[in-house]
Amino acid sequence: MDHLQPSDSALISLYLAGQESAFARLLERHRSRAFTTILLIVRDEDVAEDLLQDTFIKAIHTLKSGRYNEEGKFAPWICRIAHNLAIDSFRRGKRLPHVSLTDNDRLTNTLVLAEDGPDDVLAREETHAQLRALIQELPAPQKEVLLMRHYGDMSFQEIANATGVSINTALGRMRYALINLRKKMTANSHVYDSNLTPFDPAALCVQRVAS
Amino acid sequence: MIQTLPPSTLLRYVYNELPADELHEVEEALLHDPDLATTCADLLLAQRTLDGLRREPRPAVSAAILRYSRTFLAG
Repeated sequence: MDHLQPSDSALISLYLAGQESAFARLLERHRSRAFTTILLIVRDEDVAEDLLQDTFIKAIHTLKSGRYNEEGKFAPWICRIAHNLAIDSFRRGKRLPHVSLTDNDRLTNTLVLAEDGPDDVLAREETHAQLRALIQELPAPQKEVLLMRHYGDMSFQEIANATGVSINTALGRMRYALINLRKKMTANSHVYDSNLTPFDPAALCVQRVAS
Repeated sequence: MIQTLPPSTLLRYVYNELPADELHEVEEALLHDPDLATTCADLLLAQRTLDGLRREPRPAVSAAILRYSRTFLAG
């Protein structure tokens, strides 16, 4: 249960006191978001993995040299580093044309739904690859907000601060990103498959009450 | 008479960023406005679809990061 998990702040304190296992938990908690953010920008898994290492190496340097600002939240901070490194890499033109889906070893490692059959896994991966391609077609400001909100765990206010716009602008960009994605999804109806992301209003309602 | 919610308010509701004292207004509107409820459902569905995109790096990448951390000495 979430409330029994140590906070990021507590894990950082333990890490700085010498407990490497605390850093392992921080990495486990945040690597997926950071990696997904990078991957959606650079579109190459090898480059994304290199940049993920760079991201956490930068974090290690900052933490262990005592330069980490405790007032900030770890999740937005680490994802901001990841995002900046990915953008820098993208601008340097180091990306390859597309995400490889033919490496079976990598595919096995990146998919967590082990109970699914091979056909389900491949179909899901193909669908997600198509969705990633649709995200690439979004205008850059919309894509940036979408990545920061969904994979950077940043609030709209934090995104507004990080990108130098008002919160209403950030919200507007996110809204148009979702509208545009929905249009593209509808045009590619096989991507927008409710069987892959079952819509369960009851579960959402419980989440709302608990928050 | 039902007032239309600003799109930004609905978006903040979907992403759990609306202050508690504004939740009731949105939930009341959702009860009485089928179009708004449909828009909200679409947003939630898109949100879930996007969350499904999350990927993990290979275990070797995490291992390399942890190895770096263990051997790093702050200057």
